[in-house]
Amino acid sequence: MSTSTPDLTHGAGHGDHDDHVTVPLLERFPGRGSAAAWPLGLVGVLLLVGGTFLSWSYTGDVLGDLSINFYPGGVQICMIVLGLVALAFLLAHRGPLSRLGDWLDSAAAVRNLGLGAVAYMAVAIGVIAYESGGLINVNPGGWVSLVGALLLAASGLMLVSRQHKDPLFAKTTSWLEICAIIVLMALVLFGAAYALGIGDGASFVLFLMFVAAAATALAKSGVFTWIGLIAQKNRPVLMLGAFAVAFLFPFTQGGSDENMSIATQVLIFAATALGLNIVVGLAGLLDLGYIAFLGAGAYVGAVLSNSAFATIGWKPPFLVVVLVGAIFSSILGLIIGSPTLRVSGDYLAIVTLAFGEIFRFTMGNLDGNNGPDLTNGPNGVPAIPDLNFFGFDFGQPHNVAGITLGRFANYYFLLLVIAAIIIFVFVRLNNSRIGRGWVAIREDEKAAEAMGVNVFGLKLFAFAGGAFLAGMAGTVKAHHDVSVTPDQYIFLESAFLLAAIVLGGMGTVAGVLVGATILKLLPEKLRFIADYRLLIFGLVLVLMMRFRPEGIIANQRRKLEFHEDDEDLAERIEEVHLEEAEAKA
Amino acid sequence: MTEFLQQIVNGLTLGSLYALIAVGYTVVYGIVQLINFAHGEVFMIGAFGALATWTVLFKGQHGLWVLPIMVLGAVIVSVLTAVVMERIAYRPLRGAPRLAPLITAIGISIFLQEAVRLFYPGAKSKLTFPEIEVVSGTALQVGGLTIQRAAVFTVGALAVSAVLLWFFVNRTRLGQGMQAVSQDPDTAQLMGINVNRIIVIAFALGAALAAVGGVAQGLLNSNIDFRMGFLAGLKAFTAAVLGGIGNIQGAIVGGLTLGIAESMATQFIPGQFGGSAWKDVWAFVLLILVLVFRPQGLLGARVVDRA
Repeated sequence: MSTSTPDLTHGAGHGDHDDHVTVPLLERFPGRGSAAAWPLGLVGVLLLVGGTFLSWSYTGDVLGDLSINFYPGGVQICMIVLGLVALAFLLAHRGPLSRLGDWLDSAAAVRNLGLGAVAYMAVAIGVIAYESGGLINVNPGGWVSLVGALLLAASGLMLVSRQHKDPLFAKTTSWLEICAIIVLMALVLFGAAYALGIGDGASFVLFLMFVAAAATALAKSGVFTWIGLIAQKNRPVLMLGAFAVAFLFPFTQGGSDENMSIATQVLIFAATALGLNIVVGLAGLLDLGYIAFLGAGAYVGAVLSNSAFATIGWKPPFLVVVLVGAIFSSILGLIIGSPTLRVSGDYLAIVTLAFGEIFRFTMGNLDGNNGPDLTNGPNGVPAIPDLNFFGFDFGQPHNVAGITLGRFANYYFLLLVIAAIIIFVFVRLNNSRIGRGWVAIREDEKAAEAMGVNVFGLKLFAFAGGAFLAGMAGTVKAHHDVSVTPDQYIFLESAFLLAAIVLGGMGTVAGVLVGATILKLLPEKLRFIADYRLLIFGLVLVLMMRFRPEGIIANQRRKLEFHEDDEDLAERIEEVHLEEAEAKA
Repeated sequence: MTEFLQQIVNGLTLGSLYALIAVGYTVVYGIVQLINFAHGEVFMIGAFGALATWTVLFKGQHGLWVLPIMVLGAVIVSVLTAVVMERIAYRPLRGAPRLAPLITAIGISIFLQEAVRLFYPGAKSKLTFPEIEVVSGTALQVGGLTIQRAAVFTVGALAVSAVLLWFFVNRTRLGQGMQAVSQDPDTAQLMGINVNRIIVIAFALGAALAAVGGVAQGLLNSNIDFRMGFLAGLKAFTAAVLGGIGNIQGAIVGGLTLGIAESMATQFIPGQFGGSAWKDVWAFVLLILVLVFRPQGLLGARVVDRA
């Protein structure tokens, strides 16, 4: 194997690593820059994909059925997809797609795909061996794919990144951008439906590994930078697409209530987290008792419902209840916020936490013995009937175009509307004078005040507004959950909401949706870690703050707040803003 | 009158417990402006440390002589936890936006609770704390008042800790260094004070006192569980704010005040809103009232506003 100069492997013929002083660990692979890297990668893809058409397992009951030749199962199809993506990046590096390679860091993508494939194959083989009683039961296909993955990883480590332009400045036609968004949305829909349909934990973990490998590869190559940009440019298309996906989701479930129940929970959680995101992400007010506002709405929904245990005789129509719940919640927000918003941020966090506890204790005490009988104390309000809109009973399944939509699907659609309202409010506020005021307060309260921003008023508005939205979601949650008890609204739930925001990315809609989905979906699917769920959750919070405090999908400005010394990032953001300003002028 | 005095006694007991924990919040906040939300868990781990020491070394023994060793065990476990947590989780975040350490603290808190629940044998339910001669057993009767023996231990432990703490802060070089860092970390560093070391010591100091509190709680309640740190920590933080955060005397005064206020509320608030079911609510209402009317606390906060 001859070691050639980097120029030979460069399609464009530029040495771009001369100015790098410290070489990352991943780029110190022997044989780096060798001409053999590219063909090696092709061989790797061939073996990886070829192996999936052979049997991986002797027994047919592990990870779905992987024992039949020329009939790949779901676990194998993931590897086919990964191999094809890697092939595309290899061809972008050198070959027919090399114009794409001018914009994307194809070598980094191949590297990540390769390493991801190795990890995936290792786990897959491990699971097959463990569940069927020994490595002997791993059939040749698995080994072929593993070798392919190893070759692909080696190739990725040997490839040297071509000089590429920043995808932020890519000029693409709008139809291409819209197509990209549509494809992305379709992938999300398909991926979500597929993931929810996976029955066993091991297959689910493998699918997650596949998604993680693909996502990191796309992120490292710069595709996500471009997607972020076109998402900003074509926001209406993206929004419509996202809602179309969310709307179509129940139709992919074939009337199964099990997954719809999870999806509905995710949606309640996400809607609440989006409301909290206004308070925390935009205005920067750390609210650790937000769940109390959801609870306030839920209790209003419960005691004004037709439940036999409701303590108030007034039974208004549901829309009135939603309004009453939301207003009640925001009044609580005003009561708690108006005195405490004058103190500094840390105090606010603790006061809101204390408020959350006060709420829970109070709801547990108002049982007739320790206070007026309003909430039935620790037993809560059970047997809340399903909603009924003009004869449309939410408890009954309905048939739409031959597909049965069950009880949870009905609530899902209602919650979708509520989530849409919250997102709409969020986005419009974010782009308004109020939103800019919030960002100013978040970044430097004193400077904002000096510039004439009404700090107290805006903070109070954020607080009460967030409470309003949570109260709204709470009234629906009461009917969806059937019963409302105080221990549904413990501090841990507030911590989960906050974690959804932090994990996904503060101040962004997409981030919160991702965070909420991860936090609700994983525990449902990974039942075998059920007991360690909270332990892992705590650990993830700590690690996340340590290594990626801006979250998975970061708001660029927010990212900069956490990495103040990253001048490169600052410059890029500034350049893009300048370009946008020029384009507008 | 007897009722009133009885509630004072109960309040002082409870308050001493809060004060022991509150010192940890206030010392750390005074130096790094960080609400160490996981401090309640350090307290809880102290109690488990004492129980573990007893189970491993003295199972079946109830003499008073085992108590100092149990306290020592509790202190060692708590201090280790606090120091490791500072080193691994908080130190890398110094200078980050203030949201980051707070969220880390929540993460640590959940992690520690779960770690104890999952890995301490039998901790999924309540564990019985050993009875120790002299400090547990039948309550003392003094002029019509009932005084739990463990209450005497708790108040005594606070008194001893407070004297030692005063001596440490005002009469030793390290204590002086701590004061200097809390006034101005940058200048203190220029004067040759090792700020990192001072911060570790602040965490360790708070943890040691919390551990003593953990033992006291075990003796008072005669059982411990992994959840006990959350509410106790929250109350202790309330106490620290009540006294004036960053102010060590304040933490002690605040703790005692909160304890007495809570006991009084149980006894003297008439009608349905009195009684023990509402005492936590009144404690937190007190926190909110203090923040509204006197945010600097009873004795005045010793913290420069950086926000």
